[in-house]
Amino acid sequence: MWALKRICSERDGRLGLAFTIAILAFALLGPLFSPDPNVLDIKARFAAPGMAHLLGTDNLGRDLLARTSVGTRYALTLAVLIVVISSVIGSLVGIVAGIAGGWVDRAVTAVFDIVNAFPPLILAFALIALYGKGSATFVLLVTVVFIPQFGRMARARARTLRNLSFIEAERMLAVHPGTIVVRHYLPNVAGPIIVLASMNLPVVIAFEASLSFLGFGVQPPKSSLGTLIKDGFVSINQSWWPTITAALVLAVATLGATLLGEALRRVIDPKSAGAR
Amino acid sequence: MTDAITVHDALLRFGETAALESVSVSIPQGTCFGIVGESGSGKTTLMRAVLGLQRLDAGEIHILGTPLQQGRAALRQRARIVQPIFQDPAASLSPRSRIRTLMNEVGTVLNEPRAATHERLLVILKRLGLPESVIDKYPHEISGGQARRVAIARALLMKPSILIADEPTAGLDVSVQGDLLNLLQDIRRAQNITLVVISHNLAVVRLIAENAVVMRAGRVVEIGEVGALFGAPREAYTKELLAAWPRVTHAASA
Amino acid sequence: MAISLRNLSVDYNLPIGTAHALRDVSLDIQKGEMLGLVGESGSGKSTVAFALMGLLANNARVTSGTATIEGRQFDLTRHNATASLRGRGMAMIFQDPMLSLNPVFTIGAQLIEVLRRRAPGGDRKTRIAQAEDALAKVKLSNPKQRMDQYPHELSGGMRQRVVIAMALLSEPALLIADEPTTALDVTVEAQIMREIIGLRDRIGCAVLLITHSLGLVTEHCDRISVLYAGERLESGSVRDVQRQPGHPYTRMLFDCEVPIDRERHADATQNRFTVIAGELPDPRRRPPGCIFSGRCDVSFEDCAKLVPGDYPVAGNVEHGARCLRLVTP
Repeated sequence: MWALKRICSERDGRLGLAFTIAILAFALLGPLFSPDPNVLDIKARFAAPGMAHLLGTDNLGRDLLARTSVGTRYALTLAVLIVVISSVIGSLVGIVAGIAGGWVDRAVTAVFDIVNAFPPLILAFALIALYGKGSATFVLLVTVVFIPQFGRMARARARTLRNLSFIEAERMLAVHPGTIVVRHYLPNVAGPIIVLASMNLPVVIAFEASLSFLGFGVQPPKSSLGTLIKDGFVSINQSWWPTITAALVLAVATLGATLLGEALRRVIDPKSAGAR
Repeated sequence: MTDAITVHDALLRFGETAALESVSVSIPQGTCFGIVGESGSGKTTLMRAVLGLQRLDAGEIHILGTPLQQGRAALRQRARIVQPIFQDPAASLSPRSRIRTLMNEVGTVLNEPRAATHERLLVILKRLGLPESVIDKYPHEISGGQARRVAIARALLMKPSILIADEPTAGLDVSVQGDLLNLLQDIRRAQNITLVVISHNLAVVRLIAENAVVMRAGRVVEIGEVGALFGAPREAYTKELLAAWPRVTHAASA
Repeated sequence: MAISLRNLSVDYNLPIGTAHALRDVSLDIQKGEMLGLVGESGSGKSTVAFALMGLLANNARVTSGTATIEGRQFDLTRHNATASLRGRGMAMIFQDPMLSLNPVFTIGAQLIEVLRRRAPGGDRKTRIAQAEDALAKVKLSNPKQRMDQYPHELSGGMRQRVVIAMALLSEPALLIADEPTTALDVTVEAQIMREIIGLRDRIGCAVLLITHSLGLVTEHCDRISVLYAGERLESGSVRDVQRQPGHPYTRMLFDCEVPIDRERHADATQNRFTVIAGELPDPRRRPPGCIFSGRCDVSFEDCAKLVPGDYPVAGNVEHGARCLRLVTP
């Protein structure tokens, strides 16, 4: 995988990769090193890190390592799901709008503009307030918030491609339009979209954490990093440990994803890398 | 015999400017026709209109007697008759597809069994001096010259009766452009194809084409058989063009 | 005072190896004379201009070369050797006028800057007048109006005229024109060439015209130098070289050009275009012997073994070519 090699050749890329792998390891392997996250042990609540509980316990005596690990898993899963769905839908809609032009294009752009006009968090609140809480709804609604970005990028790319020689040559050969979209547009749109997706991943992670922190995201008994921070925050006077663990993990995850995303961008699309 | 291409009173406006105005041209079958002009003359626009890539505001275009219509069915019909060779041939090959894939697309469009397309392709590659190995490559893996020939090969694979070459010698050194021009002439004669050459190079057009049209600012200035057109031009602009062309034959006063 | 370039050699450091773009290229231009440096792709002709101006890319290295301009010697292997001449002793016109024109400044501002660099003392009013005068001299309509216009408001040909006006104001001893008309229509090309010649006549500078067009050179230049794969193969007056090309490459190159008055033959097979078969040698490894021997139609055995020197053609010292045939009976 040449992309991987190129990423590792820079410091930022190595850091990003290291952080991301660490977080993934933490999320996946955490349960091996800790007791059940749902076991309550009131006597041991707010314990500092020690042999029994490697990262300490929360306000209900639940092991923090276990809880944070589960929370990370959930946060990452949601974020990846959201990014993948919004990028796929956004790309397809964007490409169609870019190729079709005319009223289709205008309609799609208008929808994108309307969605984008709202501050993302507020829009998410509104949608969740309308359609209710719950993980599945959550994913769908947050996806809506992020689709326009991908849609715009795909549309712009498609519009540029449309005028390029090789697309015109394909049209002149009377190749089926569907074939042209799949074989000739998609691969040339995929690059920037993948880059955008990787850059958006940390954003979505933080977005989901924010919403969960405010109680609009993941609902108990499920937990994500955001809810963990919230839970710890309520009793922060008694022990700062729960909040800090979750916050630290969130920070490392976001930083890792950002660095990795930027490294990926430099590898895939050097032209937009700017000064580098 | 019906003309290969007839354009009658074509009009195309982009806002205020007329990209094409009262343009009428007839190209007989089996001949080589040159479209000459400077930038903004409308020669490329005319080509795009004939290919169906650009819709006219007014006027008619007939290809082998059939009026040019928009729409997929008409496009499929037309693709078997007229094929373009774009100005930057390497750019006209889809960068993320192998040459094989691009050639197979032709087979699909023509509803031809893959084996038959492949056989015809080998014959064409041989005539163009391209090695068989080029089929497995990506466009960026072959040289510019080879890419040019691959683009021509694909156009020929469609079995067209009309080939339209847009500035075929653009960017080519004088010592190698002859190769391409001779090739186009050979193909034309061998398969009795109508060849339309769009160029700003008057000298080349004079030699390769039987008839030509001089365009300026979207209009036809003069049209006719090249001997008369370039040998004894009637219009002032044609004379101006010819006079401005750098001459290799007389030395500077030293 | 003449312009003289001796033994210019330039290498480019590329990922695939070191390419020798120029090997020992020498040329001379007299005051008031226009030399046409002709070459195809890979000849290195633009590298000559950039080396003189000190505009070579970062991966380029001048391994040898001295230039004598107006009596002063410059060692071109040193970085920015000719920096003091830019805008004063030497001016350059590029194929794309936007390489010389700053899009965010008015034409007037840029012309005045040239004047200011040339003569720091002096008042603005005189400079404005001189600038307008220069614009008038290059036959730009409405010079006063042009002063306040921006480059994007002008056509390609007009921009080139502005660049020539800038060159006019810097009163160079050497004007380098690198493919100045390649991007222009043929009618505009003729006009711009007239302006360049007008500039030369006005100032009496030497002009180095770099081009791939033999037609331009034969029509406007006094002398011609032919470059192939980084080496100068022939030099002489345009008349001498045309009448009797000393080098086979020159002859074949002239053969490939289609004269505008060549008529189409009724017999279609007679309308063939001449080609020079073969390809350029690898710039990283110079083949032994004459650099053109692989593609020459009159080469003999020694051509691939011995490197030809610069021999006079028909006893004329002003006309030299690097071909063994000239010294082989």
